[in-house]
Amino acid sequence: MHTHLIDITKEKRFLGSLGQRLTLGGGVAGIVGLAVSFGLASTSEDGIHRLWWSYLHNWTFFLTIALGALFFVLVEHLAKAGWSVVLRRLSEGVSMTLVLLAILFVPLIFGLHDLYHWLHADLVAQDHVLQHKASYLNQTFFLVRVAVYFLFWIGAAFLMHRNSVKQDQSGDHLLTGKMEALSAPFMMIFALTTTFASFDLLMSLDPHWFSTIFGVYFFAGSFMSFLAFLSVIIVGLQRSGRLTGAITDQHLHDVGKFLFAMLVFWAYIAFSQYLLIWYGNLPEETGWYLRRQTGTWSSLGIVMIFGHFLIPFLFLLSRHIKRRPLLLSLGALWLLVMHWLDLYWLIMPEYDHALTAIPFSLLDLSCLVGIGGFFIAAWAWFLRRCSLIAEKDPRLAESLTFENA
Amino acid sequence: MSTGLSENLSQDPRQRPTLVLGGKGFTEVTDTVCAVSERRKWPAIWYIAFACSLVLLGVLGACLTYLISTGIGVWGNNMPAAWGFPIVNFVFWVGIGHAGTLISAVLFLFRQKWRTSINRSAEAMTIFAVACAGIFPAVHVGRVWLAYWLFPIPNQMSMWPNFRSPLLWDVFAVSTYATVSSMFWYMGMIPDLATLRDRATGKAKQFFYGLFSLGWSGSNRHWLRFERAYLLLAALATPLVLSVHSIVSFDFAVSILPGWHTTIFPPYFVAGAIFSGFGMVMTILIPCRSAFGLQDLITTRHVENMAKVILVTGSMVGYSYTMEFFIAWYSGNLVEQFAFVNRSFGPYAWAYWTMFSCNAFIPQLFWFKKVRQTMLLAWIVSILVNVGMWFERFVIVVTSLTRDYLPSSWGMFRPTSIDFLTFLGSFGLFFTLFLLFVRFLPMVAMAEVRSVMPQAHGIVGEGHRPFGDYWPDSVHPERQRKPSPEEE
Amino acid sequence: MNHDTAPLWGMMAEFDNVSDTLAAAEKTRDAGFKHWDTHTPFPVHGLCDAMGMRDTRLPWVVLTAGITGALFGLALQYFTNAVDYPFVISGKPLFSLPANIPVVFECTILFAALTAFKAMLVANRLPQHHRPLFKKERFRRATQDRFFIVIEAADPKFDADRTRAFLESLGGLSVEEVEDR
Repeated sequence: MHTHLIDITKEKRFLGSLGQRLTLGGGVAGIVGLAVSFGLASTSEDGIHRLWWSYLHNWTFFLTIALGALFFVLVEHLAKAGWSVVLRRLSEGVSMTLVLLAILFVPLIFGLHDLYHWLHADLVAQDHVLQHKASYLNQTFFLVRVAVYFLFWIGAAFLMHRNSVKQDQSGDHLLTGKMEALSAPFMMIFALTTTFASFDLLMSLDPHWFSTIFGVYFFAGSFMSFLAFLSVIIVGLQRSGRLTGAITDQHLHDVGKFLFAMLVFWAYIAFSQYLLIWYGNLPEETGWYLRRQTGTWSSLGIVMIFGHFLIPFLFLLSRHIKRRPLLLSLGALWLLVMHWLDLYWLIMPEYDHALTAIPFSLLDLSCLVGIGGFFIAAWAWFLRRCSLIAEKDPRLAESLTFENA
Repeated sequence: MSTGLSENLSQDPRQRPTLVLGGKGFTEVTDTVCAVSERRKWPAIWYIAFACSLVLLGVLGACLTYLISTGIGVWGNNMPAAWGFPIVNFVFWVGIGHAGTLISAVLFLFRQKWRTSINRSAEAMTIFAVACAGIFPAVHVGRVWLAYWLFPIPNQMSMWPNFRSPLLWDVFAVSTYATVSSMFWYMGMIPDLATLRDRATGKAKQFFYGLFSLGWSGSNRHWLRFERAYLLLAALATPLVLSVHSIVSFDFAVSILPGWHTTIFPPYFVAGAIFSGFGMVMTILIPCRSAFGLQDLITTRHVENMAKVILVTGSMVGYSYTMEFFIAWYSGNLVEQFAFVNRSFGPYAWAYWTMFSCNAFIPQLFWFKKVRQTMLLAWIVSILVNVGMWFERFVIVVTSLTRDYLPSSWGMFRPTSIDFLTFLGSFGLFFTLFLLFVRFLPMVAMAEVRSVMPQAHGIVGEGHRPFGDYWPDSVHPERQRKPSPEEE
Repeated sequence: MNHDTAPLWGMMAEFDNVSDTLAAAEKTRDAGFKHWDTHTPFPVHGLCDAMGMRDTRLPWVVLTAGITGALFGLALQYFTNAVDYPFVISGKPLFSLPANIPVVFECTILFAALTAFKAMLVANRLPQHHRPLFKKERFRRATQDRFFIVIEAADPKFDADRTRAFLESLGGLSVEEVEDR
C-alpha cells in the first residue's frame, strides 16, 4: 500500500569498515594530536600552563556538542517527535561520547591549579569574595560535582541508547513509552547539571564574575553546535553511500531550521547578557566584558557578531540552502568554527588578564586535532555494532515519509 | 457525542491520536463550531457572565475617570514604591497576552497540530489581554492627554523621545505586538468568517461577515499565498513574542536595583509569560468547551497537552528562581544577597511564598495523569497559576523598590481601594471582550481543524491509519504524482 | 443549452472528498485548461502540484520589507537622539547601538509582518466582494465541506457543451453553469 515507503533493509545502514577506519584514524589523530601538544608545550617556556587552557577549551568544545546531542535525544522523546526518528541513532552515538569526555577530564584534574585561581590558597587568603565562595569553589566539592554531572549524563545517554538498540531487535513498542517517561525527569536534571557545569567549568575561570543567564548561554551554544555537527555527519555518511534513502532533504531542512533557530537563540541570549551588563555598568560585572573589548579581543567580539550571527543568519534564511546537503554542511562547518571561537572568547581572556592580544597558539589546534580525533573515534566505536537507524521504532515510517510542509 | 471521550488518550506510539472525536467529518466540525455563534437562544450563563463583566467594566471606567480627573495620588504609588499596581498589572496582562501568539506561531512552527482547536480563542484572549495591559502604563503617565509624547511624532518643541530608555522600547514592543497579533488573528479568521458569511441567514450578519471576509472563496491560488503568508507571520511572530517580554524584563533589568538587575530576566520573563498565558487559556477554555459543546474538538488530550506545557514552563520559572537565588549567594554581593533574603523572609514573605508555591510547586501536580485529565483539577491549577504569576510581578516590583540600597529610605507599599478596583475592573474589560468574541466570531479555527483531520488526506472511514492525523501526502494510497506541464 | 439571459461566466463541478478533487484537478490540468481554479474549505496539500501551480514570491517581498524596517528603525534613532535632539542620558553615548537594537528589531518585525499581510491581499486581489460564484447556492458549501473545480468561460479551451461533458466525466456530485452577474 505504501508505494513510497522505502525499505530500510535495502539501505546501507551500518558503519562497517568506515567505522573501523574512523576509530583507527581518529585514535591515531588523537594520540598524535595530544602527543604533539605535549611535545610543543614541554619545549616552550610556560608551555604546560598554556597547554591546560587549550586542553580545557577544546575539551569543552566537544563536551558542548555531546551535551547538545543528549538534549536532542531527550527532547525528541519528550515531544514524541516523529520526523526525527531517522536521526536519533546518530545523535545517540554523539551523546555516548560523554563517556570519552569523562575519561578525558581525568588529566584536567592535574591542570586545575593552572586554570582556576580560586584554588590558589594565597590568593583566596587576600580576597574576601573568594573566601565567601570557598564553600562552593573548592577542589573536593568541584570534583564531586563534576563526577555527579558525568554520572548523570552518561547514565541518561546510556539508558536512552540501550533501550533504543534493544528495540532494534525486539521491536517492542513499550520501550518507546519507557524512554518517553524517562525523558521528562531527565530533562529537568539535564537543565540543572548543564547549568552548574557551565558555572563550574567556565564561569568560575573568573571567580568574581557572575551572570544568571550563563547556563542558558552555554546551552544555546551546545545545542547549536550539536545540530551543526549532526548536519556534517549526515552529509558525510550520505557521501559514503549510507542512509541515502532514509534521510532526505526534508530531514535536512528541519535540522537546518533548528540550526537557524538556535543561532538566533544564541544571539538573543548573548545580546541579553551583554545589554544588561553594559546598561547597568556595574564594575563587578563589566570587568569581564572589558577584558573582551580590550586590544585584539575586541575584533574577536566583532567576528562573533557577524560570523556567529549575521552572516549565517542570512545564509540559512533560505529554504533552498537548508535543503542542499553541501550548502547546509558548509554553513554547519562555519558555525562549528564560530562556536569554537565563541568558547575561545569565553575562556581564553582569563588565561592572562595582562594580555591584550589574543594568545593564539599552535596548541589550540593540536589539542583540537587530539581531542577531536578521539571524539570521532568514540562516536564510531559506540555505533560499531548497531544500525545507524532506530530500525523498529514505531514512528520510523512516519519519519521515513516525513514531508516538511 | 456518543463516542467515548477517552478515545484519543492512548499513549501507544504506533498510532497517532485523532484530534477530532465523535467520528466527525467536515460537515459536523463546521456545524459544531458555527453552532456557537449561530445559536438563537443563548444560555443564561452567558448573560450572567456578560452582566458581571459589564459591571466590572463599569468599575474600571469609574476608577479611570476618578484617576484622570484627580491624579495619580488616588493610587498607593508613593516613594519608595513609585511603581505599584499599575506596573504589576501591566506585566501581568501583557504576560497573559503571550499564549495566543505562542500557540499560533511557535506551536505552528513545531507542527503541533493540536493547536488548531485552541489557537483562535487563545489569540483572541491575547489581544484582549494586551488591551488590558495597555491601559495601565497609559494612565500611569499621569497626564494622559500627553501620552502621545511616547511616540516619535514631530512637534513644535522639537523634542524627541529618548530611545535609550527601556520604557520607550516597551512602547515599540507592545504596540508592534498588539498590531501583529491582531493582524495574525484577523488573517487566520478570514476563511472562517467566509464560512459564517455563507451560512448566515440574517441580512446584518451576511453584510458584516461578508465585509470582513473580504470575498474569500477558498480558491486554491489564494490558499497557497495565504498559507505562505501565515507561515511567514508565524516565523516573524515567534521572535516577536520572545522580544516583547524580554523588553518588558529590560524595564527592570537594565536598572541597578538589587533583585531587578540580573541577566536571566529576559528568558525568565518569557517563560513566565508563556506559563501564565497557558494558565489563562486553560482557565477560559475548560468552561467554554462544556458550555458550547466543543468537547470533541477541544478534547481531554488538548487539555492534557496544555497541562504539559504549563508543567514545562512552570519548571523553567522554577529554574530561574533557583538561578537568581544561587547567583545572589554566589556573587558575594551583599545587597544582592539581602534582596533575596528580604524577599523570602522579609515583610513580603507571604507574597513571595504564594508566588513560589503557585508557580514552581503547584504545577508539579501535572506530573500526575489524573490531575491533567480531570477537568476540575486542571482548572484549579490553572487559576492558581494566574494567581502565582500576579504575585510574581508584585514581588519583583514591590520588594525591590521598598528596600533598596539606603535603609533610611525604606518603606512599605500600601495599595488603595482604587488600586484593587482598577485591577478588578480590568478583568471586566477582558471578559466583556472575550464574551463578545465568543458570541459573534468563530471561536475555533474551522479551516485549520479541517486540514488536520484524516479526511483532509483522502482517508475516508475507519481504515488503517498508521499515522493518524499525520498522514503524509507522499504515501497517499491512490495518488501518483504526475509532473505538470508547467514544470516540464 | 444556456437558458439564462446572463452571459455564461464558467462551469463548476462539486466534489465531497479530497481524493476525488485531487484526481479531478489533475485531469483538468492535463486537459490543458488555463483559466480554472479549485475552491476548497481548507488548504489541500498536493493540490498545487495537481494544479501545476508555481510557488509564490512572497518571502522575498517580506525580506525586503524587514530590511527596510531595520534601516528605518536605526535611522530614526540616530536622527532623533544623536542629531536633532542630542541629550546625554545615564552616561550613555548619544548614539548607543546596544540600546537601539530593541527598537530596530521591533521595526523589522512590524514592517515585515504588515507587508506579509498586505502582499497576501494584493497578490490574491482581495478584498473582492463580488464574484459570480457567490450567486450559486451550492457554492456556499465551498467554505464548509465541499470542493469545487471551476473552469472559466474565459479559458480558450472553454466550450459550454464540451466543458460540461468533461466536468461530468470527472465523477463529482454535480455540475452547474455559473452565470456572469
